[in-house]
Amino acid sequence: MNSFINAFGIKNIHVSSNQIFILNAFILLTILAFILACITGSINISLRDLFTSSLDDLSRVVLIEIRLPRVILAGLVGASLGISGAALQGLFRNPLADPGLIGVSAGAALGATLVIVLGSNFVGSFALGSFLLPMGAILGAMSVILLLYFLTKGFGYQGVTYMLLVGIAVNAIAGVGIGILTFISTDSELRGLTFWTMGSFGGVTWPLLIPAILIILISISLMMTVSRNLDLIQLGEPEAYRLGVDVKKLKYKIILTCAAAVGASVSLSGMIGFVGLVVPHLVRLFGGVNHNFLMPGSAFVGASLMIIADMLSRTIIQPAELPVGLLTSAIGSPFFLWLIFRIKRG
Amino acid sequence: MSIKSNNIDISLGGRDILNNISVEISGGEITTVIGPNGAGKSTLLKGLAGDVKPDKGNIFYDDKNLIDINIQERAFTRSVMSQLQPIAFDFSVREIIEMGWVDRGQSDYAEEFENAVMDIVLKCGVENLIHRNFNTLSGGEQRRIHFARTLLQLWRPSDAKDPKYLLLDEPTANLDLTYEVKMLNIIKEVANEGSGVMLVLHDLNLAAKYSDKIILLSDGKTVEIGAPKDVLRAELLSVIYDIDIEITEDPLFITYY
Repeated sequence: MNSFINAFGIKNIHVSSNQIFILNAFILLTILAFILACITGSINISLRDLFTSSLDDLSRVVLIEIRLPRVILAGLVGASLGISGAALQGLFRNPLADPGLIGVSAGAALGATLVIVLGSNFVGSFALGSFLLPMGAILGAMSVILLLYFLTKGFGYQGVTYMLLVGIAVNAIAGVGIGILTFISTDSELRGLTFWTMGSFGGVTWPLLIPAILIILISISLMMTVSRNLDLIQLGEPEAYRLGVDVKKLKYKIILTCAAAVGASVSLSGMIGFVGLVVPHLVRLFGGVNHNFLMPGSAFVGASLMIIADMLSRTIIQPAELPVGLLTSAIGSPFFLWLIFRIKRG
Repeated sequence: MSIKSNNIDISLGGRDILNNISVEISGGEITTVIGPNGAGKSTLLKGLAGDVKPDKGNIFYDDKNLIDINIQERAFTRSVMSQLQPIAFDFSVREIIEMGWVDRGQSDYAEEFENAVMDIVLKCGVENLIHRNFNTLSGGEQRRIHFARTLLQLWRPSDAKDPKYLLLDEPTANLDLTYEVKMLNIIKEVANEGSGVMLVLHDLNLAAKYSDKIILLSDGKTVEIGAPKDVLRAELLSVIYDIDIEITEDPLFITYY
């Protein structure tokens, strides 16, 4: 069991056996959600057929070309939003940090929108689209994190609410940008833009998905390596430095990996709110606040919740589809309120 | 074994704080820095710890210049406790203490981790607190936990001989009498085992009782360095602190052990 967890780069002495048990339960949950989401939908696939590979042609096409990429994307986006939320909350020492609330997702959406509306004029065709789109989103996300870096004097602790106020402003700026681009876009471009407001995993194809899989998996693995340092920085930057943490390097690493993970996610799924906020808190409630547990835990819980949310969004009002972002916001926003009251009381 | 500063100047935010300071923190001794507010005591500690770079002069850990020692290596060699910040998430007391454990790479004692933590927990008498949520502790209790963390950072198997230094800025602030004495006794023990200890203290009586050497700072300069009885002279302290000070062997002075 321990060596399995070690494959994720976790040092055992900082994870309790209880936490290893919970992490394994999270992994199991992710696998179950994945299988369930693969067989459920407008065409149901029987579990026996799936494992004996005796699917009929239609089911096979639906599974491999439509459902599998969609479920994988939902899982990856959930994992990257969950773990990025955990990393940003840790870095800012702020329980309310979330890629959506502080404007990182909006920055990514603006970057991607720019690529769609202006990119087509320059590139001519969308041949480079599968790389250009995530790159635009990553640059957008990174610009916002860098802006936050300067506005908070190097992520110095400024109280819990300051960053949220900055986030409101950043979200508004990105909203204006997206609004203008929507206004000047052509009809066909507009169709590509509309889903950004509420997020969706529909319509993803393998050629679009593969670069995102690479970017997200690399970012997540890199983020895992700084778990211990995120614990130490909770003592304050000078203390972390005295314990051997290169604080500057840690910040750059998190800026880059979060921007890459969130950017690649948003470029394919649009803005999906509150996952990065709710998931880390949920994981903390289950098994503790240390990042060696929290980071992988948030990745797996984020992945399973998002897979389930997406499955619900495409099944509850068949044949229509509920935007998945609407579902996560419906659950996430009351939680956000609860969190604010809890922090105020504390 | 010692930390030495050679004629260092340190300025912070364009203001000169320390001027031409040469001091030595020797292994096996407690060296205490005293002086009025704003004398530069904490800055001297930060300088010797490597938090701030001197504008002039050098700091040596034995014969190695501090600027040539990387931050991981520094973390194995010296541990520091100073003013503490609030912690945003609900870490357990045990987790906070364990944060003092520095992964040492090749010369790691990872298999000794559990023993080391229990060693320190028992030494500091915090075994009844370790499962508590750190944020629910009182200020004094939190300080004792950070002290335990600072000690864990320097933990070695009993046969290890590498040099280590403990630098503490007002470690006994917020502590009641019992724990003040207990903590200082542990610090004395650490020094007796060969480590170099530097304290910043306000309380001159504590400084007199526990120090092997006292550095008196005023206005960014060293006024006097020496044994407590040589530095703690009434006429000198009266000038530096700008009040009348009398030094007595008070018949009512309460001695604690």
